Amino acid sequence: MGKLFNELKEDILYQHGMNACLNCGVCTAVCPAAEFNDYSPREVMNTVQSEDDELIIELLKSDKIWYCGQCFSCKTRCPRGNNTANVILALRRLSIRYGYFTESEKGRQQLFAKRVFGENMLKRGYTLLAENITPAHFPELGENWEYYYEHREEMREWWDVPMDLENSPGSHRVIPEKDMEELRAIYQATGAIELMDSVEKSMEKKLGSKKEVEKYWQTWLETGDSRNYEIKDNK
Amino acid sequence: MKVARENLAWQKHQKHVPTIDEPGGKLWGCFRSCFLQSAAPYTEGIAYKILKNDLGMDLREAPGHTSCGAIGYHGDVSNVETQMVVAARNFSVAHHELGVDNLFSFCVTSFANYTEMIHLWEEEPELREYTAKTLKETTGREFWVPHVSGGRPSVVHASDVFFANRHQLAAKAKYSLKGIKAVDHIGCHYGKIFPGEAMGGVEFPQVLVGLLEAFGAEIVDYPERRHCCGMGFRQCAFPENRDYTASSVYKKMKSLKEAHPDCNLMLTNCPGCTVFLDAEQGTIKEVLEEEFNVSVLDYAQLTGLMLGYDPFKDCGLNAKAVLVEPLLDQIGIPYDKSKTAEERRRPF
Ligand code: SF4
Ligand code: SF4
Repeated sequence: MGKLFNELKEDILYQHGMNACLNCGVCTAVCPAAEFNDYSPREVMNTVQSEDDELIIELLKSDKIWYCGQCFSCKTRCPRGNNTANVILALRRLSIRYGYFTESEKGRQQLFAKRVFGENMLKRGYTLLAENITPAHFPELGENWEYYYEHREEMREWWDVPMDLENSPGSHRVIPEKDMEELRAIYQATGAIELMDSVEKSMEKKLGSKKEVEKYWQTWLETGDSRNYEIKDNK
Repeated sequence: MKVARENLAWQKHQKHVPTIDEPGGKLWGCFRSCFLQSAAPYTEGIAYKILKNDLGMDLREAPGHTSCGAIGYHGDVSNVETQMVVAARNFSVAHHELGVDNLFSFCVTSFANYTEMIHLWEEEPELREYTAKTLKETTGREFWVPHVSGGRPSVVHASDVFFANRHQLAAKAKYSLKGIKAVDHIGCHYGKIFPGEAMGGVEFPQVLVGLLEAFGAEIVDYPERRHCCGMGFRQCAFPENRDYTASSVYKKMKSLKEAHPDCNLMLTNCPGCTVFLDAEQGTIKEVLEEEFNVSVLDYAQLTGLMLGYDPFKDCGLNAKAVLVEPLLDQIGIPYDKSKTAEERRRPF
């Protein structure tokens, strides 16, 4: 039994997600991510149950843990009451804490998750903001969306859901600073800030410098596809 | 007496949500959704109008309520501890500042997240203690747990509130779905994480079907009805991953159209499903040249249409990939035919 497995075992999400796996494969049969990717929740459950750190590290460095769409279809159907989606959450936190996420293409997308969901929360108190849904990144929303995006302030007035009003209830309002301070204090005290910081630090280590991290980020902002940034494998 | 399987499942998964005719059913605290507010704000707009104007509710939300942060939880930027304390803060603000006891959220991920935190507090007393202590230390606020459904620790979803009041809503309807085939698509985070907290359970969820039936629709079934829309947090948010979302939508729509080519109405209760089940039909049309033309409406948008609200100005059917006019024609809902589709959608 390895050190990493011990850490995993301490995680309440692991404890609630793993009873005993009978290897029946029902989770994989219902899993939408397994249908479209090289991914199997059953395999994940087997790997962690091996309690073998080397196998777990290999998993944490792979794309696999990032394919799960967090739909919890597996949870509903597992005859043993397991919850792969929760185990995945525990594994992802472990991968971020140890920097293993930087070794896979899907893992490195954690930089975007941190800079969008995480920083939005700390700046505005919402994980998503109206300005995030740019037509360039969401072409499937269509031409009406482009118009709407350009006119979002007027359109929201028109729909009676005005945005960015200060100190008012309502959609996309500005949350008062004293409440934002409380939220930031919670993120600090519960380790979320530390988790987010480890994303930046590990990416810097992987890509060589802060400057390269910004290049990687810019590539994604401009092209919507991080694969356009070429990873020089230095290690 | 022999009881149908469906009825047994239904009995097991009943939950009580107070209607406007019951004590406490008119005063609600609510949490807006960051997904809806960024990608489909009008759905909250119409929900508000219906709950306030048509059901006469007193809806309260504090300026200091934040988003539940669960997109960050499933998108891996926060911890379960973070989620517990953020949830406790929002509950505390609602109860101690606004004086509300009953709470619903507009987002199914918020609903699941708040439900998960309440379950954790019930099952792990030391986590409850941790939450109360950290909440006090970081914000000075007092811990409070809502007991919405049947007096047990719980919150509900906005669609539950619509379902509970469906007969009152149907009584006010100007239009009917008689002769219209329709199907539900329940958000995974509404039905699958805590099936016991879903109206009707996960096998026979009633929350949207009940609303559709109250408006007179004919419900159809199809093999991939419970398949996820593929929203996936990291999948829908990052363009390079959206093949997963598009593939899931394709699988669903293909399955529906094979079973019921004439079903063009899908009712949703999750922001992710509402946006992507529609939008990816546009992608599929472009990439594969296959058209499904299924109008994906949120429960509040559909209710708004039935009650006679304007499809565009009130119900916000402006930025959909699938044209909504054919469905409006089918139901018999009038709209300004002197304008082009574009003019109807672009008022400025
Ligand atoms: S459904 Fe449950 S028991 Fe079966 S393989 Fe998956 S996790 Fe194991
Ligand atoms: S939650 Fe993840 S592992 Fe489970 S069925 Fe959905 S995509 Fe698969």
